[in-house]
Amino acid sequence: MNQTQLLERGRRLLPWVPAGVLLAVMTGPQGRVGQPGYSISQAMHPGHLFDSIAIALVAGVIVQLWGARPAQFRDTVAQVRSETRRIYARREIRLGVYAVLLAFAILLPHMVGAYWQEILVDKIGIFALLAVGLNVVVGFAGLLDLGYIAFYAIGAYVVAYFTGALPVQPPFILNDFYALIFAVAAAMIAGLILGAPTLRLRGDYLAIVTLGFGEIITILAVNLDSVTNGSRGAPGITSFSVHVFGINYDWGLSQVPYYYLLLAFAVIIMVAFAMLENSRVGRAWTAIREDEVAAQACGIPPVKYKLMAFAIGASTSGFAGVLYAAKISFINPSSFTVLFSILVLVLVIFGGMGSLIGPIAGAAAIQWFFAYVQKHDGAPIPGIGVKIPIRPEDIYLYVGALLIVMMIFRPQGIIPSKRRAREIGMAEQGIGGADATGAPIGSPVS
Amino acid sequence: MDTKHVVRAALPIAVGAVLLAGCGGSSSGGGGGGSSSGKTFTIGYQGPLSGGNAALGINMNNGVKLAVQQANDAKTLPYTLKVLSADDQGSADGSPPAAQKEIGDSSVIAVVGPAFSGASDAAGKIYGQANLLMATPSATLPALTDEGFPTFYRAVADDFAQGPPDADYLVKVAGKKKIFLIDDTTDYGKGLASAFKGEVAKAGGSIAGSDSAPQTSTCVPGATGSTSQYPSEASKVKGSGADAVFYAGYYCDFGLLAKAIRNAGYTGQLMSGDGSYDSHYISGAGAKNAEGTLLSCQCSDIASNPKGGDFITAYKSAFGQDPGAYSAEAYDVTNAIIGVLKGLGGSPTRAAVVSAFGSVDYQGLTKEITFGADHNLKVQTAFLYKVVSGKLKYLGDLTSLTK
Amino acid sequence: MCFTSNFWSLTIDGLNNGFLYALIALGYTLVYGVLQLINFAHSEVFMSGAFGGLFLTQALVGTGNPTGWTAGGYVAVGTLMGAVVGAIVAFLLERVAYRPLRRRHAPRLAFLITAIGASYFLFSLAGHLFGRDAYGVPDLLSHKSLFSIGSRNIQEYDLLVAGSAIAMLFILDRIVAHTRLGQGIRAVAQDAETASLLGVNIDRVISQTFIIGGLLGGAAGFLFGIGSSVGYTMGFVPGLKAFTAAVLGGIGNIRGAVLGGLALGLVENWGVTCVRNSWRDVIAFGILVLVLMFRPTGLLGERLGRSA
Repeated sequence: MNQTQLLERGRRLLPWVPAGVLLAVMTGPQGRVGQPGYSISQAMHPGHLFDSIAIALVAGVIVQLWGARPAQFRDTVAQVRSETRRIYARREIRLGVYAVLLAFAILLPHMVGAYWQEILVDKIGIFALLAVGLNVVVGFAGLLDLGYIAFYAIGAYVVAYFTGALPVQPPFILNDFYALIFAVAAAMIAGLILGAPTLRLRGDYLAIVTLGFGEIITILAVNLDSVTNGSRGAPGITSFSVHVFGINYDWGLSQVPYYYLLLAFAVIIMVAFAMLENSRVGRAWTAIREDEVAAQACGIPPVKYKLMAFAIGASTSGFAGVLYAAKISFINPSSFTVLFSILVLVLVIFGGMGSLIGPIAGAAAIQWFFAYVQKHDGAPIPGIGVKIPIRPEDIYLYVGALLIVMMIFRPQGIIPSKRRAREIGMAEQGIGGADATGAPIGSPVS
Repeated sequence: MDTKHVVRAALPIAVGAVLLAGCGGSSSGGGGGGSSSGKTFTIGYQGPLSGGNAALGINMNNGVKLAVQQANDAKTLPYTLKVLSADDQGSADGSPPAAQKEIGDSSVIAVVGPAFSGASDAAGKIYGQANLLMATPSATLPALTDEGFPTFYRAVADDFAQGPPDADYLVKVAGKKKIFLIDDTTDYGKGLASAFKGEVAKAGGSIAGSDSAPQTSTCVPGATGSTSQYPSEASKVKGSGADAVFYAGYYCDFGLLAKAIRNAGYTGQLMSGDGSYDSHYISGAGAKNAEGTLLSCQCSDIASNPKGGDFITAYKSAFGQDPGAYSAEAYDVTNAIIGVLKGLGGSPTRAAVVSAFGSVDYQGLTKEITFGADHNLKVQTAFLYKVVSGKLKYLGDLTSLTK
Repeated sequence: MCFTSNFWSLTIDGLNNGFLYALIALGYTLVYGVLQLINFAHSEVFMSGAFGGLFLTQALVGTGNPTGWTAGGYVAVGTLMGAVVGAIVAFLLERVAYRPLRRRHAPRLAFLITAIGASYFLFSLAGHLFGRDAYGVPDLLSHKSLFSIGSRNIQEYDLLVAGSAIAMLFILDRIVAHTRLGQGIRAVAQDAETASLLGVNIDRVISQTFIIGGLLGGAAGFLFGIGSSVGYTMGFVPGLKAFTAAVLGGIGNIRGAVLGGLALGLVENWGVTCVRNSWRDVIAFGILVLVLMFRPTGLLGERLGRSA
């Protein structure tokens, strides 16, 4: 490598220095009200600053080396990848992989303690279900729903109603399994009512309407005291139980039985969505995503199929709400704020829009990370002895940064759907769109 | 993942626990026999350690730590005590994992907390199932003790101890007959407002108007209220001709409200409850606007407490700052638990702690901790403060002030 | 009617809110005009401006207690600082987050997601740096009644908000209608590709649009902070309201944003006298949903942008 090349390399590392400074600021101490300069001045402590810039530069060098990886290496990777893909394309191998994953999921709760079992159910399981549902809306149909958690709330409140936990008493008290049907139906109907008029609008209006809808649902839950018990919330929601053929089983509050219930539901839903994706409906969604006008010309009514995706997403969300309410046995409006809608979106995007496994992987990875930070706040990581410089309250700082970085460098997510990755690539070359929110920004409207 | 958890979860049977205890080095409390000095037990703490209410949660966590540290130094117990803190962000959905963190550590024999009412609601059954004591130093929602959580004890006066006396004080002592009542739509705010409202008429006053002003997004992330509601709130208050405004909510929004009300030229009395008992209220509203505000709190003022001197000194030397709201309350609850443990010998169990705690009689710094059959304190007291020259000044306890 | 008792008082409150909504709404509308992007992070531009103005005035005031012209000067400097900080944040936002996507012709969803990410990043960063409790803004205005309309006393704050908002809106209207910069913005809004063929530097026009939006939003942030307080999550609800206002007036339409802001502020404040204040947002979002359903182009229609 000659001197000019070296210089050029060095010059391209320069932008990583401000990135390192930003990292130093992000990982600095929590600021104090009344001392605006405190956090920054502490973060600019030479040792901390030096470490952060060094980390950023190392990251920069790795990115450069990756960009300049030799052709031979590149070929090998491509070869390995295509070989894996070829093997994976065989049906029995694919089913085998699924079986191994499922076996792992079945064994998982027995390998961890009570805290992680709770996280597996409350945070990972339920949010994976939410993410899988939102994936139908965002990933399959290419619509942006920012009020997704509203349907979750509807599901939770309907089950609270039918188990007699709300101030308004139902005509008959139902077992959770029956209440589930009503809850899912209610969420789906709410989805249809909201979606029918708004899905005719431009895609990005949908985002803001759903955001407003989410806010309205939270406000209603807070204000309609006589119906929802207001912000006091609804305690005493009964847990799932079975009383048939002499079998009496109550899921109670234990994590592991709930985990298996969730897993069973998740597997059913996943299989259903996989079939849906490969059906006529799935192809219609793909067509709408890629070119709405052309799809319409071919006789696919876009509004109908968008509405279908929206309603399926809403009912999945309602479903998750039922499981959440039954598991915790208590709900209050603060569990349904807009922050959660955004969180679910982050899980889907991180995992990979449009891919079936992606959202689950996203939920597992991100929620695990949150729970880990929460559990080990201030304590050194066992085995390494270094404290994590991330405080639980700063989690959304990293979530925000992650979204920006993902959109710039890997918009397809960690486990992308092949088709979505291709669409994004094509859209970037100016062929078709990759979602149903309209033409790419800065390009002429077709 | 630490191997202890893996093994314990895989073999959830007594044999496994005994084996583990036999291996040594484990902090398992399940094993029986002997009172070897190397043994440790743990007192848990559940409350917000991150997020918007972290300051309050850390105050309490420090109180718990201090009590445990003092017990260890004085060798009060035949074993060493530790503290396990679990962060629930003060919210209902953060509560079950935090509770499981406590329950999952078998050395935990009692928990101080949860600090907040919603979190207590969401964890009550879980702790009940694990038969683990949850003694809250600060969750004041009256309905909590009606839920029938078997291991829940409220070592603090509930909102009925401050709402009605607040009304008595405002109407009878301060002579403000017409009162405008505002709640912040939280469970705490609505509970306090209804406790207050019932007493106003009995005391001979009247409600000139009432409103609900939701917490704003400026104060609470994700909240739906907008600060632009406060000027119109001020207009409503002025239009109602009220002599006083009672706000049932938290300090940050109360600061915004006080500022808007004073800026609009309203000169009547302002009053609020323990949610607003925080010096940030004064800085948020501006010292001039906050002047004269009455604040009640179930938390006693440790600085003006004749018994508090040693506690303050010890707290300062341990944490480098003065004790905050509810530090002394958490310290008292922890000491009450330690007192119970003294009577339980060298190997206390969760069940033994729960059954003994119901009949505890402990004279703490802030109050006497002894429970009625409803798991509430027998003697419920709240205290009154006033903002004087930009500082919170202690006026006395409400029971004697409203006599 | 339930609001007749303090009609004027609520109307003035409504106008105060409305002018601030209008200033923020312009940021949304301008960016939407040139990029067809809902810039969710604009509420954080507003928040940054509030912090900028706050810190400067805090430093200037120190422990003193300025009154009269000095205090007025501090308010002016604070508002200016708010505008500058807002503009800087908006500029950086475009450069760091949006431009790389634009270069790659990323799909529209990517922009929206980036906007949300940027919003979360910025407000969390502010919370991390400056603490998570609200800051009180130094009390620089007198709250004496200058004159009264109906039963409502008009104070300095009311005049400050109305005066500065009207001045800024007027200047903006002139800029867009009569300057080269305005021509550029309109050209890009009309048809970016043709504009670029005709020699308009699109990158520069987009940057300038973000800067103008940031100036207005940042100034609004500080004016908003004077009336309440400044905190890291302060932008969320006003941002949402302002976007509602922009849509209400017809997104992409500058005069529409102003009209939408004022209308929303007034309706909200009139509305909550009949119901409790906790229903305020239901009113605002209810209006948004209704407008989008029955008149998606807003009150005045979409002018600056296309109605694609």
